[in-house]
Amino acid sequence: MTAETPPRGLPIEFKGLTKHFGLIKAVENMTLTVSPGKVTGFLGPNGSGKTTSLRMLLGLVSPTSGSATIGGQLYHDLPNPSLQVGAVLEATSFHPSRKARAHVQTIARGCGKSDKDVDAALELVGLSGDAKRTVGGFSLGMRQRLELAGALIGDPAVLILDEPSNGLDPQGIAWLRDFMRFLAGEGKTVLVSSHLLSEMAQTIDEVVIVSQGQLRAQGTLDSITGNLTAGTIRVRTPETDRMKAVLTEAGLTFTSLASDQIAIQQVTPEQLGPLVARHQIVLYEMVHEGTDLESVFLSLTEGMGFGDQAAAS
Amino acid sequence: MIRTIRSELLKLRTMPGMWVVLLLAFPLTGLFIVVAFLTAGSHAIPHSTFAAVQRLSDRRLLLGAGFQSVTLLAPLLGVLCVTTEYRHKTITGTLLLTPKRSQVLGAKIVATALWAVGMSILTFVAVAAIGLPWDASMGGAIGSVLDQVGAVVPELLLATVLLSLFGLGFGTLVKNQIAGVLVTIGGTLILEGLIVFLVNLIFHYDLNWMPNEATAAFAGEIARGAGFGGDGGGNASLNFHLLPWWGGGLAMLGWGVVPLTLGYFTTFRKDVT
Repeated sequence: MTAETPPRGLPIEFKGLTKHFGLIKAVENMTLTVSPGKVTGFLGPNGSGKTTSLRMLLGLVSPTSGSATIGGQLYHDLPNPSLQVGAVLEATSFHPSRKARAHVQTIARGCGKSDKDVDAALELVGLSGDAKRTVGGFSLGMRQRLELAGALIGDPAVLILDEPSNGLDPQGIAWLRDFMRFLAGEGKTVLVSSHLLSEMAQTIDEVVIVSQGQLRAQGTLDSITGNLTAGTIRVRTPETDRMKAVLTEAGLTFTSLASDQIAIQQVTPEQLGPLVARHQIVLYEMVHEGTDLESVFLSLTEGMGFGDQAAAS
Repeated sequence: MIRTIRSELLKLRTMPGMWVVLLLAFPLTGLFIVVAFLTAGSHAIPHSTFAAVQRLSDRRLLLGAGFQSVTLLAPLLGVLCVTTEYRHKTITGTLLLTPKRSQVLGAKIVATALWAVGMSILTFVAVAAIGLPWDASMGGAIGSVLDQVGAVVPELLLATVLLSLFGLGFGTLVKNQIAGVLVTIGGTLILEGLIVFLVNLIFHYDLNWMPNEATAAFAGEIARGAGFGGDGGGNASLNFHLLPWWGGGLAMLGWGVVPLTLGYFTTFRKDVT
């Protein structure tokens, strides 16, 4: 969000949101708030309840208890919801014989937008040239873009994306990242779920981590990653032998990565920097890798592999 | 609601399957136009293969030649309207656009009914394009056929709409497109007739509230022309009695309303996962 642009998004709130499918607890007592003007990552392993939570938010799945609201209202109580909330849920919800433009037109008709808006939305996602093609011939990435065009046609204040980068090529992912940042910059609320942490880390301002249907952590990226201070630091030096000797003397564990590279585990830059300076070791590069989002994610969802996850989403 | 209806109409307009079903009404009606002239030929003195329609029942049979086609095809319009949404998972987008599910169902009812009206109009176009010129070429009086418009057209229109809603209700219940289409065709062409026949034969009970029989009773003027019996007389060999026209209409309405209501409270209220 820029200082000049007032927020125009709406807050999203989960209050004790719970969904049980029979004996399976897909989502359990989830309470969180997503603020406007930020890109919020909704992260968790497959089957952690992300999609179920988003579908409850969008009125597609009824909660067992609790509530999920947008701007204080349930989705189905929003007047003409497509003008307030855009959602990209899955890239398979298309009639294969329908042309791309017609697909977006069906949404436009439903929310009172014009064909001009349809063309603008297709232009925005880079599908103008394919507007007259049937969706059946589209790649997964093109379908994602088309789904996004449908979500954006109402110029909504809230954008909800479920695994949006699935099927997108690297250019598409980069474009989506910039686009989400642009929308957040306009003050809109962007909630994006993903299990692809490397992409999210570059895009999001805030992060919500879920696993086994439960909220594990929520906060800014810095506050979340700051919780784990000791990580891995990779250094590149022409004096690897001296460096190894110093590390051994200091009681630090390390791994040789290449003839001039060493990875030192469980150390902070504040510990390693003075140590290297004291011994006057020349460094070409020092990269702090250990406290990234992935480390936090793995530590919070540890042991929750596919076998342990309920079929939550 | 208007926006949702417009969206539904565009969806149907951009589904090739709907056009196939709609346009099939034209050649099928053409087939029953041939039947109308064959029937007229059998009534002519001396008998001939084809003859211009002279009797009241033959004139109505010609004008309502689309009746048999819509009996088969109109329910398919309804089935396709709703099952396509589940087959291609477009129901997710539909409910995101219009989260009030009763509104979605209402829009589908209106959109399907409008397509049904289009289908019945198409059958009249077939009669105008094929039947009337053919009748005139055999010396028939087109005016006397057109005199029956008031008796035939409203019944056929309404029957088509009610049949399409029956299909919509059935589609809402089954969700599966292939099952919906197969059961509709199989039920219309074979199963229902067989059940009605056997029950009448064995138990001497008229299942005259079944969809086809109710339709025949409702569209009495056309049905009489189409040889369904009528006048409460029914099939002489089976001593089958049709309902009065209003009873047939109510039964047809029931065949639409009951599955639609059940479908709303089951399929439409379910979670979309």
